Amino acid sequence: MDKIKQNPFVRKVGFNRVILFCVLILMYVAFCLMVPGFFGKARIMSVMNYVYFLGFLSLGVTFVIATGGIDFSIGPVMFCCGLISGYTMVFKGAPVIVSLIMSILIGFLFGVFNGYLVSYWTIPPFIVSMASMNIAKGIAAVYTKTQSISWPLSTDPVNGWFRNLVSYNGFPVGLVIFLIAAFICMVVLNNTKPGRYILCLGSNREAVRLSGVDTKKWEMLAYVICGTLVGIAAIFFVGAYTTVQPGYGDQYNNEAIAGCVMGGTSMAGGLASIGGTVIGVLIISLLQEGILALGFAKDIQLIVTGIIVIVVVYADVMARRRKN
Amino acid sequence: MTKKKSLLSDQRFIVLLVIIALVVIYMIFSPEFRKYSSILSMLDFSYYDILMAIGVTFPLITAGVDLSIGTGLVCYALVAGRLVRDYNCPVALAMLICVLFGVVVGAVNGTLIGVMGLPPFLATLCTCMITRGISSMVMATPWPTNKQPGGWFHSIFKLTFGTGRNALKIPIGFLVCVILVLVMEFVLNHTKFGRYTIGIGSNKEALTLSGVNVKFYHVMAYVICGLFAGLAAIAYAAVVPTVQPGTGAGLELDAIGGVFVGGVSATGGYGSVIGTLAGVFVIVLLKTGLPYVGLQANWQQIITGIVLIGAVMIDVAKRRRMAKEQ
Amino acid sequence: MADAILTMEEIDKSFPGVHALDHVHFDVRCGEVHALMGENGAGKSTLMKVLTGIYTKDSGTITFEGKEVEFANTREAQDAGIVIVHQELNMIGDLTVAQNIFIGREFMKGFKIDDKKMIEESKKLFDELHIDINPRDKMSDLTVGKQQMCEIAKAISHQAKVIIFDEPSAALTEKEIEDLFTIIRDLREKGLAIVYISHRMDEIKVITDRVTVMRDGGYVGTLITKDCTKEDIINMMVGRVIYETPKTESKVAKDAPVVLKVEHLNAGRMVQDVSFELRKGEILGFSGLMGAGRTETARALFGADPKTSGDIYVNGEKVTINSPQDAVKHGIGYLSEDRKRYGIVVQKTITENSTMATLEKYMNGIFINKGEEKKITEKYIQELATKTPSADQLVVNLSGGNQQKVVIAKWLVRNCDILIFDEPTRGIDVGAKNEIYKLMNRLAEEGKSIIMISSEMTEILRMSDRIVIMCEGKKTGELDISEATQEKIMDRATRDIA
Repeated sequence: MDKIKQNPFVRKVGFNRVILFCVLILMYVAFCLMVPGFFGKARIMSVMNYVYFLGFLSLGVTFVIATGGIDFSIGPVMFCCGLISGYTMVFKGAPVIVSLIMSILIGFLFGVFNGYLVSYWTIPPFIVSMASMNIAKGIAAVYTKTQSISWPLSTDPVNGWFRNLVSYNGFPVGLVIFLIAAFICMVVLNNTKPGRYILCLGSNREAVRLSGVDTKKWEMLAYVICGTLVGIAAIFFVGAYTTVQPGYGDQYNNEAIAGCVMGGTSMAGGLASIGGTVIGVLIISLLQEGILALGFAKDIQLIVTGIIVIVVVYADVMARRRKN
Repeated sequence: MTKKKSLLSDQRFIVLLVIIALVVIYMIFSPEFRKYSSILSMLDFSYYDILMAIGVTFPLITAGVDLSIGTGLVCYALVAGRLVRDYNCPVALAMLICVLFGVVVGAVNGTLIGVMGLPPFLATLCTCMITRGISSMVMATPWPTNKQPGGWFHSIFKLTFGTGRNALKIPIGFLVCVILVLVMEFVLNHTKFGRYTIGIGSNKEALTLSGVNVKFYHVMAYVICGLFAGLAAIAYAAVVPTVQPGTGAGLELDAIGGVFVGGVSATGGYGSVIGTLAGVFVIVLLKTGLPYVGLQANWQQIITGIVLIGAVMIDVAKRRRMAKEQ
Repeated sequence: MADAILTMEEIDKSFPGVHALDHVHFDVRCGEVHALMGENGAGKSTLMKVLTGIYTKDSGTITFEGKEVEFANTREAQDAGIVIVHQELNMIGDLTVAQNIFIGREFMKGFKIDDKKMIEESKKLFDELHIDINPRDKMSDLTVGKQQMCEIAKAISHQAKVIIFDEPSAALTEKEIEDLFTIIRDLREKGLAIVYISHRMDEIKVITDRVTVMRDGGYVGTLITKDCTKEDIINMMVGRVIYETPKTESKVAKDAPVVLKVEHLNAGRMVQDVSFELRKGEILGFSGLMGAGRTETARALFGADPKTSGDIYVNGEKVTINSPQDAVKHGIGYLSEDRKRYGIVVQKTITENSTMATLEKYMNGIFINKGEEKKITEKYIQELATKTPSADQLVVNLSGGNQQKVVIAKWLVRNCDILIFDEPTRGIDVGAKNEIYKLMNRLAEEGKSIIMISSEMTEILRMSDRIVIMCEGKKTGELDISEATQEKIMDRATRDIA
């Protein structure tokens, strides 16, 4: 065991990430053995559809959790983005490109709202999340008059092209975009000033502040990054699943947070791994596909992710206690 | 050293003024609101909020939170309702099951937070999802109506004399809630449980060093919260014709918002159940009253969210001023 | 001679990397006040924590009233009759005085807590101790001194047989200390055994019967107070470590330019109208008792806490400092007394900590230039002789002294000209202490100006060129090192100006 840990490749990637990756592979093999016909491109594409939007949510919330905060308004905000921009397109005739930009912009604005309240007003993040979750739901419902919105299908001659962002002639464009986004996030977190400060302030805010760093600014930035990524997630959600319904979206909060904490990002802040988040998201997505394939109701997923998060976070808490 | 506190510095008093102002505004703008039946229906829909809020006051005073009460109460009401419908379970037993279910979930939350040391919002977010998952697997269930056998439980909240349009309805549930509020206010201020709840929120370390079994009382705060979520489930079943599976997310916001409006500090350590009652009423008035002044019901979520943030902002501003004075 | 009520023998305790207690012996008898002395980090508090069950001992025996005991927690120790009055106050601010005193053992009337009886009992307690506090007051409304009195009252109300006072006088005024001594003598008369932990030599002579001295986690010896002199105790405390003699004269030229001038600084209760000047190359000592407002002054000056008024001039120019950012911009660096909370990010590497304040200098476009960053860090690791395998080491794995060096490196990388050292050697072992002293002297010689806040008199007298003394938030004196003596400083530090 120790030998594996000392392997230079393993050390670089992180032992936990390697384990997590093995879990992913094992899960896939297990599902293939349990469910006839699970093996194959169709299932993988279906898993990927889930990965795209959940991946962006998870990447976003990774930044927030790295500061030691939390954002569980991401699911409803994603729906809000999809609803408002979709409504503008379907009922007000806006071109799809405007809608896409609008979606990202709405996510960005929610990020600004959350970040401002958390960092400049020092309101506990969970309270802000709770409020903005409901505000997002409310605004979407008011704007769309409580209608579901269906985005144009790929056959739509004018607006259908946006689905090429998800897949083009069966080629998973979405996966490429997601991996590029993940790579950018990784660079931002590890090799730039915002990333450095976000991680450090998550670990010890006062020490960073007393070093003459504007911690409020950087903390807020984490929420803004998160919001923007949530806006992008909305595009992939409608690209894969077409219809958004007002009043929902909170079921994805937990899955996004689960993907993030499974990957080794600590709820206490200061430690984050984008690579881990990517693998975590893959596991969660595979899990939900597997649960459906095994013939269980989709709602089992809620219970399973709930338990996963509890177990993973408890492991993190215990690891911290042992260190002290 | 003790400063004489003016009435105006008591947040509860200000909240009371807000309630009066809201009622007056509604009455002026809406003849509909002035009717007894409107008041009655508003009260009907306030009970589960009040009950949830009484319960969640305790975790909030410990500087924690319970996000699972909303989906929780729907889950309890569904499971118990199914038992009544399909398994001939007596309503009294079903009510007991609601409460017990609440207590069990509360104990789980408490253990995760108080013993295992998970962040409160995260642990309860998980139980929120879990209870929601459970409730999604139960069929939609109506509890017995007033006239059906077992419908007696409605009279806990509303006494009905006579039938049809002329029936005299008395909102006795309000009295029940007020009594519970007073009992819990007493519990908060004059029992060990209440005192240690405040202590956990104020300075947990010191409480531990005083030799108090902090873990036990920390768990108890969530158990009490769960118990009241169970009671709220009964009140919910009494007013909602058919409890829908998988719903309930967002109900907790009304309760938690009410608690903060009522003056519980966002960092814990201070709070009052009477304040909670007043705070919830602000939320309930905003929620049920908006249609009377011509706003879509959908606005209520937005407004509750803003009120919640506003209440906490006031608390933050107050604490900043105090810190500056020192 | 009475038998000991409490005996601790061969107590041994190790933490990862530190041998905190090395076969320590300690005992206390009924009706005596027994002082436990030693420098910071000598192991006094650790020993008491082992006794009261906060830490578990590795080996050794504790005998209490003739029986061997081992308490699992403070509660058990309390129930047995051993109570500790903590150095840090352990009060629940949102509850009243009476509620705090009886927390964990409330009088009950059925389900109801009998608050009335608790208030009466508290009043009785306060009367007995001649303390004037209203038990109905909210704890957070009291002054630190009064909170301390409540803590003592709480300890006494436990029917204690052994009371441990952990630096009780640190935050008290002279009047309050006298009251405290009256109380302690009273308790001694009643036959209680009292352990008194303090740094203050004069108090030890006044109030205690025996003195046990500890050094670096080890037991040095026990003396009868009235048979020994101050020097005896000091010799035992410092042991073979040779302290440099105090500075006799300032090393700063009389005409050295003033680099920092603070005028009429006000920030709440703890900083009232403080003015002083700092010259180039000078080490300005800030002396005073705990709670005198020195740290608060530094924090307000640095912009870490809001200030109400006051002017700050850097190199003769008036500057606005509203946040640490402003202070850093003007070349001021602050080394906090509480390193782990305010100085370093322990879960990050030495490199990340060292460039924390200067990151913009190590950028390559939008990317961090990790090579440059590492180079500068390694340069300072060498220069400060920080003991670490590499610059990528997490700071949490370093010893206290080396952690302090990382904080110093952070400000040296930034090239700060004015450095505020707040208790620079707290919790640092003797060897590392000397290194820090040497480093400070070198920095001063290189033309950096240093403000040094310290509670250790020897440190103040050894390092400072000039000394500012504070008491209760006010500046009560300023002495050149040539005229400064321990007595003069103490006199000003305890002056009750109110």
